[in-house]
Amino acid sequence: MLVVKNLHASVGDKEILKGIDLTVRAGEVHAIMGPNGSGKSTLASVLSGSEKFTVTEGSAEFLGRDILSLPIEERARMGLFLGFQYPVEIPGVTMANFMKIAVNEHRKYRGEEPLTAGEFLRLMREKSAVVELDPKLTSRAVNEGFSGGEKKKNEIFQMAMLEPRLAILDETDSGLDIDALRIVATGVTRLHTEDNATVVITHYQRLLDYIVPDYVHVLYKGRIIHSGDKSLALKLEKEGYDWLINDYREE
Amino acid sequence: MIVEDLITASGAQPLPDNGLLAGGVYALADAGDKSLTVPGGVEASLVVVHTRQDESKLSIELLDAASLSIVVLCEAGAFAEIDIAQHGRSACRLTALMLSSGELACNASLKGREARFDMNGAFVLTGSERGRIRVDVDHLSPDCSSITLVKGVASGSSYGRFEGLVYVAPDAQRTDSQQTSRNITLGADARIETSPQLEIYADDVKCSHGATVGQIDGEQLMYMRQRGLSREQAQRLHIEGFVGDVVMHSAVESLQEQLSARVGAKLENIR
Amino acid sequence: MANDSKNIIEELESGDYKYGFTSDIATETIGRGLNEDVVRLISEKKGEPEWMLERRLKAFRHWQTMKLPQWAHLDIPRIDFQDIIYYAAPKSAKKLSSMDQVDPELKRTFDKLGIPLEEQMALAGVAVDAVMDSVSVKTTFRETLAEKGIIFCSISEAIKEYPEMIKKYLGSVVPYADNFYAALNAAVFSDGSFCYIPKGVRCPMELSTYFRINAEGTGQFERTLIVADEGSYVSYLEGCTAPRRDENQLHAAVVEIVVENDAEVKYSTVQNWYPGDREGRGGIYNFVTKRGLCRDRARLSWTQVETGSAITWKYPSCVLLGDDSVGEFYSVAMTNNCQQADTGTKMIHLGRNTRSRIVSKGISAGRSQNAYRGLVKVAKGADGARNYSQCDSLLIGDKCGAHTFPVIDSRNPSAVLEHEATTSKISEDQLFYCNQRGLSTEQAVGLIVNGYARDVLSKLPMEFAVEAQKLLSISLEGSVG
Repeated sequence: MLVVKNLHASVGDKEILKGIDLTVRAGEVHAIMGPNGSGKSTLASVLSGSEKFTVTEGSAEFLGRDILSLPIEERARMGLFLGFQYPVEIPGVTMANFMKIAVNEHRKYRGEEPLTAGEFLRLMREKSAVVELDPKLTSRAVNEGFSGGEKKKNEIFQMAMLEPRLAILDETDSGLDIDALRIVATGVTRLHTEDNATVVITHYQRLLDYIVPDYVHVLYKGRIIHSGDKSLALKLEKEGYDWLINDYREE
Repeated sequence: MIVEDLITASGAQPLPDNGLLAGGVYALADAGDKSLTVPGGVEASLVVVHTRQDESKLSIELLDAASLSIVVLCEAGAFAEIDIAQHGRSACRLTALMLSSGELACNASLKGREARFDMNGAFVLTGSERGRIRVDVDHLSPDCSSITLVKGVASGSSYGRFEGLVYVAPDAQRTDSQQTSRNITLGADARIETSPQLEIYADDVKCSHGATVGQIDGEQLMYMRQRGLSREQAQRLHIEGFVGDVVMHSAVESLQEQLSARVGAKLENIR
Repeated sequence: MANDSKNIIEELESGDYKYGFTSDIATETIGRGLNEDVVRLISEKKGEPEWMLERRLKAFRHWQTMKLPQWAHLDIPRIDFQDIIYYAAPKSAKKLSSMDQVDPELKRTFDKLGIPLEEQMALAGVAVDAVMDSVSVKTTFRETLAEKGIIFCSISEAIKEYPEMIKKYLGSVVPYADNFYAALNAAVFSDGSFCYIPKGVRCPMELSTYFRINAEGTGQFERTLIVADEGSYVSYLEGCTAPRRDENQLHAAVVEIVVENDAEVKYSTVQNWYPGDREGRGGIYNFVTKRGLCRDRARLSWTQVETGSAITWKYPSCVLLGDDSVGEFYSVAMTNNCQQADTGTKMIHLGRNTRSRIVSKGISAGRSQNAYRGLVKVAKGADGARNYSQCDSLLIGDKCGAHTFPVIDSRNPSAVLEHEATTSKISEDQLFYCNQRGLSTEQAVGLIVNGYARDVLSKLPMEFAVEAQKLLSISLEGSVG
């Protein structure tokens, strides 16, 4: 589904990703962990097409197509979803209005008819239940005045609405209390199927108690320095990153 | 008397003939037209006092990274103009107090990158005085910032006016500018007019302005009276705080006491 | 808000000025130029009584002594007032009694404009006084309104049929000597609408006038007079479009509103006159004087969405004469390409406990210049006056300008007046977020701009709000990317 090879990316003169290799197949859950500043969020931004970064080397294929030259929205319509670490506020634009356009653009891309107002409302009701999102929030402006937890739930709600093939969730767990974390994680798990895949970027093992990964990768200084199964996350939790980083330094 | 007190308090030195300020504190009293330059990197202070009903124009140039603090005190109906041209990374702090009829026009041209202009002023008018403060800030280079805060008090049948203009030139990106006008009218015949204007030709800017005309807040008044102050006392206290704030942040710290005394004396005339 | 996104997308794709067609209708005009004879001729063509002619001549003579106002932040090319045709009317000047008699070409024009002139109007609940060029072509639903005693007709008819009311109210809020364009209008106005709501009557439907400049080389000078008698209510809609032409056309209208004790008037405008092309050729010069007078406890609310015209000069104002009266001004002014706008409001507080509120949202794109100009004035006797003003500017691109020129003038110590203004641009983060969710940049900008303008759009009647949203998106065409 996603094949990333030797991906290098920089902002200005500064190289942040220094050769990422990552393959994600349908039905899989990957977790990307690593200390602050290792390039986790950059990887998510670059894959979704942020223009802040320049790809200097390497390739990224999504569903068999080279996506690096595609605009952000086309990658999104193909089914690549990014759950933002800091969802931005858009004053005056209601969630419902925003999502209606988003959903119908995705449908149009897939050659489907746009939803009628009634169908759309039904879909919103159904999906907001997935993350226990207060339906009132959908009539409010996008993220405006939302609490930290509401913003993150809102991200997963949008994911449920758009049914992406690949969801990259950037620190979706940060700033959440345990209840919100459970709700968000349960939502993600419920949305997971044989046909889609999830990449979870996280700092903490605690999210992985709810979203069980098939693979865990450790990103450090712009490279994936170690990969393993879910037991790696537990080991990292107990022993920190030092043993890995030391290994890496010795290399 | 006032002038001597102020100048003594500031510890000012005589102004050099060539108009080049070499650092330290300088003073000008009813000095007419003058041109001054603050050389690159030099930090200086300037006290300007107007005690006569005359016209004057002060032109000041701040070279790269120069820094100047100015206190202007206007009494007795002076018409004063101050032009300030600022080069890169220069910083100008200006405190202006107008305690009588008169006009004060300040024009700051931010010509070099990262220049900063910070103005903080007030007029307090009583009787039938008419006073006007005008502040034009021209952002001509990118990355400059300016703050303008002018407070006005008009009592009796006085008429106070603030006119502000922040101009942002087409290439002056990343301009950061705030312009605020706060005013209190006291007495049935007093008049306040305020016009904070923005003229913006660049898109990546943070410009805001605000203006208020009002009186002491009802809840504050109630609170103070509940603690035993008369309405007049509460009002007086409120206005002292309102104008006092400007003096507190005076650009030349050593003058705070003298300025407070001047403002205090003026407030005595308010009824 | 029911936002038909599909339509917005279609509009965006079809681009450019949707209303830029001309109708091929026989038009009767008089020659170019203006002198007393022309004023007499206009009055005669309209079969006006002598007193009306006298008023016109008085205004004309005063106009000749006046100078063009120069204070606005506008670059106005010289206008040759002798090169304008001051009267044009569709030739079938005969009175029409039914729909069938309407010129089919004219009907098609109205259909293209989307004016529901036919039976479906009953369902829509809109009565339209359609003004094409200068003569009121057809007034619908007059009977329904007449049952309630509401008068809704063309101003020329009103002059003949309700002379006492016209004598009393016409020019009472905007006197002919008010300003250059008001004087011109008072001398040469060719038609417009008159509306009277009797005491205690709530107008059961929204009244609407569509103005349309059609004949080439003509100026349009409508005159609108609305009188809401004590305790009455009316919501009035005004929409404007004009065909695309390379030359500039002058539009100098006057709207006067009298809001008597306890009455309420809502006046909504969606102004979409032809703005000129990308290079600034052609387009309407829109110099309009709009003012309302509020008596005790009266309420007047102006809402405007201004997307058209090459030049807009317009300050819908409220004179708050009565105690406890309320004035409101909600405005979205968008300029793109070479458009210029200098618009805002005046709130004149004369009565006690008068309140006013101003919300202005300026949007500048392309190489346009967009200025808010406002005056809040509190007279000596206006105890307890309150005003809150919020004036925001949004810049799209670095070649345009956004300006704010407010004046607050308070002569009463009990007044509480507040003005706030901010300037912003659409952030890269917002665009990225929308792009990531599959929206094109153009869609995203349209959406964000509509969100930015929402406080004002929400004040418009429903059908108007939808149209206004579409207009905002269309007008932004080509301003990004």
